[in-house]
Amino acid sequence: MNMIIPAIWISAIVYASLITVLSIGFTLTYLTAKIPNFAHGTYAGIGIYVSYTVSKILRLSPYVGFPIAFIVGATISATVYILVIGVLQRMGGGGIVLTISTLAIGIFLTAFLNIYCYWIREVYKTYAFGFMLREDDFVIGDYPGIFPFSLVLCIVAVISLHYLLTKTSTGVAMRAAAEDTELASVLGINVNRIQLFSWFLTGGLASMSGALLPLWFLSTPTTGGGLITSIMAGSLLGGFENVYGAIFGGFTVGFSEILVTYLLQGIVGTWVGEWRPLIPMFILIAVLLFEPRGLQGLYERFMASKMKKRIMSGTSRSEEE
Amino acid sequence: MIEIISSLVYEVTGTSRLIVDIAMYFGLLVIVAMALNFQYGNAGVPNMGSAVQVIVGAFTVSGITTRVAFLVVQMAGVQLLPYGSDYDWVYNNEVNVHVLTNPFIEKNPLFGIALLLFSISLAIVLGAVIGWLISLPAIRLRATFLMIVLITMADTSQIFGRNIPKISGGTLGSFIPNVFAWYPGDRGVITAVITLAIGLISFFIFKTMLNSPYGRLMRSIRENEVTVGSVGKNVVGIRRNILMFASGITAIAGVLNAFYFSYVVEAAYQRAWWTYWPWLMLILGGPGNNAGTFLGCALIVGMRRVIIAYKWSLEEFFFFPIPWLEDILLGLLLIAIMIFRPSGIIPEKLLYIPGVNYRQLVKEEAKVDWRAAPRARTEKERSKWSFKFWGKKEAD
Repeated sequence: MNMIIPAIWISAIVYASLITVLSIGFTLTYLTAKIPNFAHGTYAGIGIYVSYTVSKILRLSPYVGFPIAFIVGATISATVYILVIGVLQRMGGGGIVLTISTLAIGIFLTAFLNIYCYWIREVYKTYAFGFMLREDDFVIGDYPGIFPFSLVLCIVAVISLHYLLTKTSTGVAMRAAAEDTELASVLGINVNRIQLFSWFLTGGLASMSGALLPLWFLSTPTTGGGLITSIMAGSLLGGFENVYGAIFGGFTVGFSEILVTYLLQGIVGTWVGEWRPLIPMFILIAVLLFEPRGLQGLYERFMASKMKKRIMSGTSRSEEE
Repeated sequence: MIEIISSLVYEVTGTSRLIVDIAMYFGLLVIVAMALNFQYGNAGVPNMGSAVQVIVGAFTVSGITTRVAFLVVQMAGVQLLPYGSDYDWVYNNEVNVHVLTNPFIEKNPLFGIALLLFSISLAIVLGAVIGWLISLPAIRLRATFLMIVLITMADTSQIFGRNIPKISGGTLGSFIPNVFAWYPGDRGVITAVITLAIGLISFFIFKTMLNSPYGRLMRSIRENEVTVGSVGKNVVGIRRNILMFASGITAIAGVLNAFYFSYVVEAAYQRAWWTYWPWLMLILGGPGNNAGTFLGCALIVGMRRVIIAYKWSLEEFFFFPIPWLEDILLGLLLIAIMIFRPSGIIPEKLLYIPGVNYRQLVKEEAKVDWRAAPRARTEKERSKWSFKFWGKKEAD
């Protein structure tokens, strides 16, 4: 293959798109439910196995799996909200209790995925514990179809979310409920239904982006759960309470995780690959130590200093006009 | 039960082995769960990183105690195989430990006891240091940030153990000297007895700390940190101290676990094992209550060890390995307890301070001058009062 864009860039872009969509979902859950959802990575794991089922067992194109993955993930996420999170919220469980419950859901779903693999082995006699679907992908020129598709999926997800949050009444209600739950309910917004919708949406998005993974990377039942550090690093880098910040944060973390490892492997040696999980960890700790509000905090500080300069130089906005 | 402890048996098998195993794991996990109870139940610090502190204890034994033992043995005149480089450290480890060091400890019981005490005290110090380090990024921020950092730390510590063979032999693991080589009976029995003793000691330490003024300060931080801060207490400092102290205690569990198996490998210190199961014990028993922690620990450890012991007969009924069934049980139990019994089996009780005569206090409180109290309304008056709220209000 004679490729202008090297394979490592394809890996970086596919992975960065994946982490971006997941970080957006994670941030959205944090905004509406006020808890970090530790099961968010496991939703991606569900997407991985929907993709596997569609392409290896039903013998269809893996791209058919994306809408199915959305529906399956969204249904599971909504069920989780109805059965666990909503009940605990109504009981008045604090943030720590709710976070532990999401951890428990993550453990449960990971175990379920493993059992599903064993079930596939029993019934269909195929090996699902570690697989890749690169052969099932279509090819554009020299490039695999997943390369443009992941970017398109990421951009479409971002634009449609932006449209949803700013132009539709549901999105505006979601933002209102995220800002102040009680005030929103006074204004006649059914907060429970809004939360259910947001869990439905984030679960679907996470599962759909997880379906990207096996088309380029090796996937195992625990791959999804292992993504959670990168997702949280991306979300935290973007400010943790800002959906638009999560776009930048997620892309930066996903991109740097692949590229920094690759560059260091060239400089120091191949053994650096083992230390790859330390990169999101490092970003996480650095953000918490130096700027707990992430890029959003930096941006606000920058704007504040700009305003200060303007005031100091004696030209306020009204005088300029 | 008595015959297991009293008789100096060389091989404890069958049901007796299961009892020793349950006792050992109960001792280990009760230390971890009590430390968690101290942090979360009493001070509201959600330490989801107890796996990190346990692994620090284990690495203390494999990385430092083993080397100290080798040095002393060499000084005593026993010729050891080289252990300087990574390769020698991993591949000569078994001969060095089993053939050369253990017979030396067998002849010198005091050396074995000194090694045990040295590793426990060093683990407490290193555990406290790790507690201070992991508290740095997020102790000032929201509790959920602390949880995020601590959960990701557990995987990081495993990566360190896996990739630096000098710590614990990388993926192969490393053998450690048997400090109980002088004991004629089974190593498991004496380790279990010592673990239970340490668990008891730490129980009394935690109990005393809870009843001290500092313990009451901890509870007040859990209830309302803003108020405590406004009275002039350093909330962040107290939280960090609690995390450091409990981390030190948790590291002891790692040391004892390493001595029980006489072997350390990073894969044995996954966060599911050393963080989620102790949390389940804590939540099942009831946070803020040591008796509840003991009960939760006993129930869960008993259940798990019995499942593991009868794994092969259970596996006939399922098409998947039993560990996944355990994971499903873990997840379901955590959620079910939080929904159906949020305060655990034994709910938290009020704190009783020794030296205060509560009976006297209650008596003094209950002294009410009934003549000054408002007249109780009769049934008739209440109905009249409730219906005619628009009319002229009668004076009381």
